[in-house]
Amino acid sequence: MTSPFATLLFTLVRHRGVKGCMVVDERDGVIVDANLQLGVDGAAMAALAASVYRKARRAATAAGFGEIAFFELDAEHGRVCAAGRGGLVVVLVAENRVNLGLVRVEMLRALEAFA
Amino acid sequence: MTDDIRVLSEALAIDPASTVFVQLGELLRQRGDLDLAYRIAVRGLERHQQRADAHDLVARIASDRGDLERAKAEWEAVLILSPGHAAAHKGLGFLCYRNGDRETAGKHFDRALAADPSDATLATALRTVRGEPGTGRSARVPTPPIGAPHAAPPHAAPPLAAIRPADPRTLFADVLGGAARTVLLLDGDGYVVAGAHAADGSEDRSALIGAQLSGVSEEADRAMRHLGLGRWSQIVFEAESASVAMAPARSGVVLVAAPRSVPLGLVRRILEQALERARRWLEHGA
Repeated sequence: MTSPFATLLFTLVRHRGVKGCMVVDERDGVIVDANLQLGVDGAAMAALAASVYRKARRAATAAGFGEIAFFELDAEHGRVCAAGRGGLVVVLVAENRVNLGLVRVEMLRALEAFA
Repeated sequence: MTDDIRVLSEALAIDPASTVFVQLGELLRQRGDLDLAYRIAVRGLERHQQRADAHDLVARIASDRGDLERAKAEWEAVLILSPGHAAAHKGLGFLCYRNGDRETAGKHFDRALAADPSDATLATALRTVRGEPGTGRSARVPTPPIGAPHAAPPHAAPPLAAIRPADPRTLFADVLGGAARTVLLLDGDGYVVAGAHAADGSEDRSALIGAQLSGVSEEADRAMRHLGLGRWSQIVFEAESASVAMAPARSGVVLVAAPRSVPLGLVRRILEQALERARRWLEHGA
Protein backbone atom coordinates (compact mmCIF):
# COMPACT_ATOMS: atom_id res chain seq x y z
CA MET A 1 0.00 0.00 0.00
CA THR A 2 1.32 3.44 -0.90
CA SER A 3 1.13 6.17 1.74
CA PRO A 4 0.18 9.75 0.85
CA PHE A 5 3.79 10.71 1.45
CA ALA A 6 5.45 8.21 -0.89
CA THR A 7 5.75 10.61 -3.84
CA LEU A 8 7.02 13.41 -1.62
CA LEU A 9 9.69 11.18 -0.13
CA PHE A 10 10.76 9.86 -3.50
CA THR A 11 11.13 13.43 -4.79
CA LEU A 12 13.45 14.30 -1.91
CA VAL A 13 15.47 11.13 -1.75
CA ARG A 14 16.47 11.20 -5.42
CA HIS A 15 18.69 14.25 -4.84
CA ARG A 16 22.42 13.65 -4.91
CA GLY A 17 23.83 13.00 -1.45
CA VAL A 18 20.49 12.29 0.23
CA LYS A 19 20.68 9.10 2.29
CA GLY A 20 17.13 8.99 3.46
CA CYS A 21 13.98 10.89 4.09
CA MET A 22 11.17 10.32 6.55
CA VAL A 23 7.86 11.74 7.66
CA VAL A 24 7.92 11.61 11.44
CA ASP A 25 5.41 12.27 14.17
CA GLU A 26 6.97 15.25 15.95
CA ARG A 27 5.58 14.40 19.35
CA ASP A 28 6.92 10.88 19.76
CA GLY A 29 9.49 10.57 16.97
CA VAL A 30 7.76 7.61 15.35
CA ILE A 31 8.15 7.13 11.60
CA VAL A 32 4.98 7.64 9.56
CA ASP A 33 6.64 6.82 6.25
CA ALA A 34 10.23 6.57 5.10
CA ASN A 35 12.43 6.13 2.07
CA LEU A 36 15.90 5.18 3.30
CA GLN A 37 19.12 3.88 1.87
CA LEU A 38 20.32 0.56 3.18
CA GLY A 39 22.22 1.00 6.43
CA VAL A 40 20.43 4.11 7.66
CA ASP A 41 18.96 3.50 11.11
CA GLY A 42 15.62 5.15 10.47
CA ALA A 43 14.07 4.62 13.89
CA ALA A 44 16.93 6.18 15.83
CA MET A 45 17.34 8.95 13.29
CA ALA A 46 13.63 9.74 13.40
CA ALA A 47 13.47 9.80 17.19
CA LEU A 48 16.54 11.95 17.67
CA ALA A 49 15.95 14.30 14.74
CA ALA A 50 12.37 14.89 15.86
CA SER A 51 13.65 15.55 19.36
CA VAL A 52 16.15 18.19 18.18
CA TYR A 53 13.57 19.76 15.90
CA ARG A 54 11.00 19.88 18.69
CA LYS A 55 13.53 21.44 21.04
CA ALA A 56 14.45 24.08 18.45
CA ARG A 57 10.79 24.83 17.72
CA ARG A 58 9.96 25.32 21.38
CA ALA A 59 13.09 27.34 22.04
CA ALA A 60 12.47 29.61 19.04
CA THR A 61 8.91 30.22 20.17
CA ALA A 62 9.99 30.92 23.74
CA ALA A 63 12.70 33.30 22.52
CA GLY A 64 10.08 35.26 20.60
CA PHE A 65 11.07 34.20 17.08
CA GLY A 66 7.86 32.31 16.34
CA GLU A 67 7.36 28.91 14.74
CA ILE A 68 10.14 27.22 12.81
CA ALA A 69 9.74 26.59 9.09
CA PHE A 70 13.05 24.89 8.35
CA PHE A 71 15.80 23.42 10.50
CA GLU A 72 19.26 22.28 9.46
CA LEU A 73 22.05 20.67 11.43
CA ASP A 74 25.51 20.28 9.92
CA ALA A 75 27.90 17.72 11.36
CA GLU A 76 31.27 16.23 10.49
CA HIS A 77 29.80 13.29 8.64
CA GLY A 78 26.51 14.52 7.35
CA ARG A 79 23.55 16.83 7.55
CA VAL A 80 20.12 16.53 9.04
CA CYS A 81 17.33 18.79 7.82
CA ALA A 82 13.80 19.03 9.15
CA ALA A 83 10.68 20.96 8.30
CA GLY A 84 7.41 20.52 10.08
CA ARG A 85 3.78 21.42 10.13
CA GLY A 86 0.72 20.13 11.93
CA GLY A 87 2.60 17.72 14.18
CA LEU A 88 4.44 16.04 11.31
CA VAL A 89 8.07 16.62 10.43
CA VAL A 90 9.89 15.83 7.23
CA VAL A 91 13.37 14.66 8.23
CA LEU A 92 16.11 14.37 5.65
CA VAL A 93 19.51 12.80 6.22
CA ALA A 94 22.24 13.60 3.75
CA GLU A 95 25.93 13.61 3.09
CA ASN A 96 27.76 16.92 3.31
CA ARG A 97 27.88 17.22 -0.49
CA VAL A 98 24.10 17.60 -0.75
CA ASN A 99 22.75 20.72 -2.49
CA LEU A 100 21.17 22.22 0.59
CA GLY A 101 19.46 25.12 -1.14
CA LEU A 102 17.62 22.79 -3.46
CA VAL A 103 16.68 20.38 -0.73
CA ARG A 104 15.39 23.25 1.42
CA VAL A 105 13.10 24.49 -1.33
CA GLU A 106 11.80 20.98 -1.94
CA MET A 107 11.17 20.39 1.75
CA LEU A 108 9.30 23.65 2.21
CA ARG A 109 7.24 22.81 -0.83
CA ALA A 110 6.57 19.37 0.60
CA LEU A 111 5.14 20.95 3.71
CA GLU A 112 2.29 22.32 1.68
CA ALA A 113 1.08 18.75 1.31
CA PHE A 114 0.60 18.66 5.07
CA ALA A 115 -1.72 21.66 5.13
CA MET B 1 10.65 16.87 29.98
CA THR B 2 8.20 13.99 29.64
CA ASP B 3 8.64 14.03 25.87
CA ASP B 4 12.39 13.96 26.24
CA ILE B 5 12.18 11.04 28.63
CA ARG B 6 10.01 9.13 26.18
CA VAL B 7 12.34 9.78 23.27
CA LEU B 8 15.41 8.84 25.28
CA SER B 9 13.72 5.71 26.58
CA GLU B 10 12.94 4.68 23.02
CA ALA B 11 16.49 5.38 21.94
CA LEU B 12 17.80 3.26 24.81
CA ALA B 13 15.38 0.47 23.97
CA ILE B 14 16.61 0.51 20.37
CA ASP B 15 20.24 0.45 21.44
CA PRO B 16 20.77 -0.73 25.03
CA ALA B 17 24.52 -0.15 24.66
CA SER B 18 23.90 3.52 23.92
CA THR B 19 25.17 6.17 26.32
CA VAL B 20 21.81 7.92 26.21
CA PHE B 21 21.20 6.48 29.69
CA VAL B 22 23.22 9.39 31.12
CA GLN B 23 20.73 11.97 29.86
CA LEU B 24 17.75 9.74 30.63
CA GLY B 25 18.93 9.05 34.17
CA GLU B 26 19.53 12.73 34.78
CA LEU B 27 16.08 13.73 33.53
CA LEU B 28 14.46 11.06 35.70
CA ARG B 29 16.51 12.28 38.66
CA GLN B 30 15.40 15.85 38.05
CA ARG B 31 11.81 14.63 37.87
CA GLY B 32 12.26 12.92 41.24
CA ASP B 33 11.89 9.41 39.87
CA LEU B 34 14.95 8.29 41.78
CA ASP B 35 14.40 4.53 41.83
CA LEU B 36 13.99 4.28 38.07
CA ALA B 37 16.82 6.75 37.51
CA TYR B 38 19.06 4.64 39.74
CA ARG B 39 18.23 1.39 37.95
CA ILE B 40 18.92 2.91 34.55
CA ALA B 41 22.11 4.59 35.72
CA VAL B 42 23.51 1.46 37.37
CA ARG B 43 22.63 -0.69 34.35
CA GLY B 44 24.30 1.84 32.08
CA LEU B 45 27.34 2.01 34.29
CA GLU B 46 27.74 -1.75 34.08
CA ARG B 47 28.22 -1.36 30.32
CA HIS B 48 30.28 1.81 30.50
CA GLN B 49 32.59 1.45 33.48
CA GLN B 50 35.16 3.80 31.99
CA ARG B 51 32.80 6.76 31.59
CA ALA B 52 33.25 9.40 34.25
CA ASP B 53 29.82 10.88 33.53
CA ALA B 54 28.19 7.51 34.21
CA HIS B 55 29.85 7.28 37.63
CA ASP B 56 28.93 10.92 38.26
CA LEU B 57 25.30 10.24 37.43
CA VAL B 58 25.14 7.24 39.80
CA ALA B 59 26.79 9.36 42.49
CA ARG B 60 24.26 12.18 42.16
CA ILE B 61 21.30 9.83 42.23
CA ALA B 62 22.78 7.94 45.19
CA SER B 63 23.25 11.26 46.98
CA ASP B 64 19.63 12.18 46.33
CA ARG B 65 18.57 8.78 47.66
CA GLY B 66 20.59 9.32 50.82
CA ASP B 67 23.08 6.59 49.96
CA LEU B 68 26.10 8.76 50.72
CA GLU B 69 28.60 5.90 50.82
CA ARG B 70 27.77 4.89 47.27
CA ALA B 71 27.84 8.52 46.20
CA LYS B 72 31.29 8.95 47.71
CA ALA B 73 32.61 5.79 46.07
CA GLU B 74 31.28 6.84 42.66
CA TRP B 75 32.67 10.36 42.84
CA GLU B 76 36.02 8.93 43.87
CA ALA B 77 35.81 6.67 40.82
CA VAL B 78 35.14 9.75 38.69
CA LEU B 79 38.32 11.35 39.98
CA ILE B 80 40.33 8.27 39.09
CA LEU B 81 38.99 8.38 35.54
CA SER B 82 39.06 12.15 35.21
CA PRO B 83 41.32 13.80 37.80
CA GLY B 84 40.13 17.28 38.71
CA HIS B 85 36.54 16.62 37.54
CA ALA B 86 34.61 19.64 38.83
CA ALA B 87 31.33 17.89 39.59
CA ALA B 88 33.04 15.08 41.48
CA HIS B 89 35.01 17.51 43.64
CA LYS B 90 31.86 19.49 44.22
CA GLY B 91 29.95 16.38 45.25
CA LEU B 92 32.71 15.16 47.54
CA GLY B 93 32.99 18.62 49.04
CA PHE B 94 29.31 18.51 49.77
CA LEU B 95 29.63 15.10 51.44
CA CYS B 96 32.58 16.26 53.55
CA TYR B 97 30.66 19.34 54.59
CA ARG B 98 27.72 17.19 55.64
CA ASN B 99 30.10 15.10 57.74
CA GLY B 100 31.45 18.22 59.41
CA ASP B 101 34.84 18.04 57.68
CA ARG B 102 35.00 21.65 56.51
CA GLU B 103 38.70 21.60 55.77
CA THR B 104 38.49 18.75 53.24
CA ALA B 105 35.27 20.19 51.89
CA GLY B 106 37.08 23.45 51.24
CA LYS B 107 39.86 21.65 49.38
CA HIS B 108 37.34 19.89 47.15
CA PHE B 109 35.47 23.13 46.45
CA ASP B 110 38.78 24.82 45.66
CA ARG B 111 39.62 22.16 43.09
CA ALA B 112 36.10 22.24 41.68
CA LEU B 113 36.30 26.00 41.31
CA ALA B 114 39.68 25.72 39.60
CA ALA B 115 38.15 23.31 37.08
CA ASP B 116 34.93 25.27 36.63
CA PRO B 117 35.36 28.96 37.56
CA SER B 118 31.97 29.80 36.05
CA ASP B 119 30.10 27.91 38.78
CA ALA B 120 29.06 30.71 41.12
CA THR B 121 27.69 28.27 43.69
CA LEU B 122 31.22 27.04 44.38
CA ALA B 123 32.43 30.45 45.46
CA THR B 124 29.48 30.65 47.83
CA ALA B 125 30.22 27.17 49.13
CA LEU B 126 33.86 28.09 49.73
CA ARG B 127 32.94 31.22 51.65
CA THR B 128 30.50 29.17 53.72
CA VAL B 129 32.92 26.38 54.66
CA ARG B 130 35.58 28.96 55.52
CA GLY B 131 33.12 30.92 57.61
CA GLU B 132 33.88 34.15 55.79
CA PRO B 133 31.84 37.23 56.68
CA GLY B 134 28.56 37.68 54.91
CA THR B 135 27.71 34.01 54.66
CA GLY B 136 26.20 33.69 58.15
CA ARG B 137 25.48 30.58 60.11
CA SER B 138 22.43 29.76 58.07
CA ALA B 139 24.27 29.82 54.78
CA ARG B 140 24.04 26.52 53.00
CA VAL B 141 26.55 24.76 50.85
CA PRO B 142 24.94 24.19 47.46
CA THR B 143 24.08 20.59 46.83
CA PRO B 144 26.06 18.78 44.13
CA PRO B 145 23.33 18.25 41.53
CA ILE B 146 23.23 21.97 40.71
CA GLY B 147 25.01 22.38 37.44
CA ALA B 148 26.84 19.14 37.95
CA PRO B 149 25.78 16.94 35.04
CA HIS B 150 27.80 18.59 32.32
CA ALA B 151 30.57 20.19 34.29
CA ALA B 152 33.68 20.37 32.17
CA PRO B 153 36.61 18.13 33.03
CA PRO B 154 39.88 19.91 33.73
CA HIS B 155 41.45 19.03 30.41
CA ALA B 156 38.64 20.82 28.55
CA ALA B 157 38.93 24.40 27.35
CA PRO B 158 38.42 26.96 30.10
CA PRO B 159 34.79 28.03 30.59
CA LEU B 160 33.85 31.05 28.56
CA ALA B 161 32.55 33.00 31.53
CA ALA B 162 36.03 32.89 33.06
CA ILE B 163 37.34 35.33 30.48
CA ARG B 164 36.57 38.94 31.34
CA PRO B 165 36.73 41.48 28.52
CA ALA B 166 36.65 45.26 28.96
CA ASP B 167 33.26 45.57 27.29
CA PRO B 168 32.09 42.20 26.02
CA ARG B 169 28.85 43.62 24.65
CA THR B 170 30.72 45.33 21.85
CA LEU B 171 32.65 42.28 20.73
CA PHE B 172 30.51 41.77 17.62
CA ALA B 173 29.59 45.41 17.02
CA ASP B 174 30.99 45.55 13.50
CA VAL B 175 29.79 42.04 12.70
CA LEU B 176 26.27 43.08 13.64
CA GLY B 177 26.37 45.71 10.88
CA GLY B 178 23.04 46.39 9.29
CA ALA B 179 21.97 42.80 8.83
CA ALA B 180 22.06 40.78 12.02
CA ARG B 181 20.08 41.95 15.03
CA THR B 182 21.64 39.63 17.53
CA VAL B 183 25.11 38.12 17.85
CA LEU B 184 25.85 36.43 21.13
CA LEU B 185 28.56 34.29 22.65
CA LEU B 186 26.97 31.96 25.19
CA ASP B 187 28.66 29.75 27.73
CA GLY B 188 27.76 26.12 28.33
CA ASP B 189 24.94 27.10 30.68
CA GLY B 190 23.32 29.48 28.22
CA TYR B 191 24.58 32.65 29.89
CA VAL B 192 25.58 35.52 27.65
CA VAL B 193 29.35 36.01 27.75
CA ALA B 194 29.67 38.60 25.01
CA GLY B 195 27.67 40.28 22.29
CA ALA B 196 24.33 41.96 22.31
CA HIS B 197 20.85 42.09 20.91
CA ALA B 198 20.54 45.22 18.72
CA ALA B 199 17.36 46.38 20.29
CA ASP B 200 16.12 49.31 18.20
CA GLY B 201 14.55 50.80 21.31
CA SER B 202 12.90 47.56 22.34
CA GLU B 203 13.98 45.61 25.40
CA ASP B 204 17.26 43.70 25.31
CA ARG B 205 16.32 40.05 25.01
CA SER B 206 19.88 38.70 24.92
CA ALA B 207 19.55 36.71 28.13
CA LEU B 208 16.21 35.24 27.13
CA ILE B 209 17.42 34.31 23.65
CA GLY B 210 20.61 32.82 25.03
CA ALA B 211 18.88 30.82 27.70
CA GLN B 212 16.26 29.41 25.36
CA LEU B 213 18.43 28.61 22.39
CA SER B 214 21.44 27.16 24.18
CA GLY B 215 19.29 24.13 24.95
CA VAL B 216 19.14 23.39 21.23
CA SER B 217 22.89 22.87 21.10
CA GLU B 218 22.71 20.46 24.04
CA GLU B 219 20.03 18.49 22.25
CA ALA B 220 22.16 18.49 19.10
CA ASP B 221 25.16 17.23 21.09
CA ARG B 222 23.08 14.38 22.39
CA ALA B 223 21.67 13.47 19.00
CA MET B 224 25.08 13.56 17.33
CA ARG B 225 26.51 11.18 19.89
CA HIS B 226 23.94 8.59 18.97
CA LEU B 227 23.69 9.11 15.26
CA GLY B 228 27.37 8.68 14.49
CA LEU B 229 27.53 11.88 12.46
CA GLY B 230 30.47 13.27 14.40
CA ARG B 231 30.44 16.67 16.06
CA TRP B 232 27.92 19.22 14.88
CA SER B 233 29.38 22.33 13.34
CA GLN B 234 26.38 24.49 12.62
CA ILE B 235 22.66 24.71 13.30
CA VAL B 236 20.49 26.97 11.20
CA PHE B 237 16.77 27.43 11.43
CA GLU B 238 14.23 29.74 9.96
CA ALA B 239 11.53 30.91 12.31
CA GLU B 240 8.61 33.25 11.63
CA SER B 241 10.41 36.46 12.52
CA ALA B 242 14.08 35.52 12.35
CA SER B 243 16.69 33.28 10.85
CA VAL B 244 18.93 31.86 13.53
CA ALA B 245 22.36 30.27 13.13
CA MET B 246 24.57 28.85 15.84
CA ALA B 247 27.94 27.13 16.04
CA PRO B 248 29.97 25.67 18.89
CA ALA B 249 32.76 27.80 20.38
CA ARG B 250 34.81 26.01 23.04
CA SER B 251 32.36 24.98 25.72
CA GLY B 252 29.74 27.44 24.53
CA VAL B 253 27.96 28.61 21.43
CA VAL B 254 27.99 31.59 19.08
CA LEU B 255 24.50 32.57 18.02
CA VAL B 256 23.34 34.91 15.27
CA ALA B 257 19.75 36.00 14.71
CA ALA B 258 18.65 38.19 11.83
CA PRO B 259 15.32 39.22 10.33
CA ARG B 260 13.89 36.86 7.74
CA SER B 261 14.54 39.51 5.11
CA VAL B 262 18.27 38.78 5.47
CA PRO B 263 19.23 35.96 3.07
CA LEU B 264 20.06 32.70 4.83
CA GLY B 265 23.45 32.51 3.14
CA LEU B 266 24.36 35.90 4.58
CA VAL B 267 23.29 34.80 8.05
CA ARG B 268 25.68 31.87 7.75
CA ARG B 269 28.51 34.16 6.70
CA ILE B 270 27.83 36.46 9.63
CA LEU B 271 27.98 33.42 11.87
CA GLU B 272 31.36 32.43 10.45
CA GLN B 273 32.70 35.96 11.03
CA ALA B 274 31.33 36.01 14.56
CA LEU B 275 32.76 32.57 15.27
CA GLU B 276 36.19 33.65 14.12
CA ARG B 277 35.95 36.82 16.20
CA ALA B 278 34.88 34.83 19.26
CA ARG B 279 37.70 32.32 18.83
CA ARG B 280 40.33 35.04 18.58
CA TRP B 281 38.89 36.85 21.54
CA LEU B 282 38.82 33.69 23.62
CA GLU B 283 42.38 32.86 22.68
CA HIS B 284 43.83 36.31 23.28
CA GLY B 285 41.33 37.78 25.69
CA ALA B 286 40.88 40.90 23.52
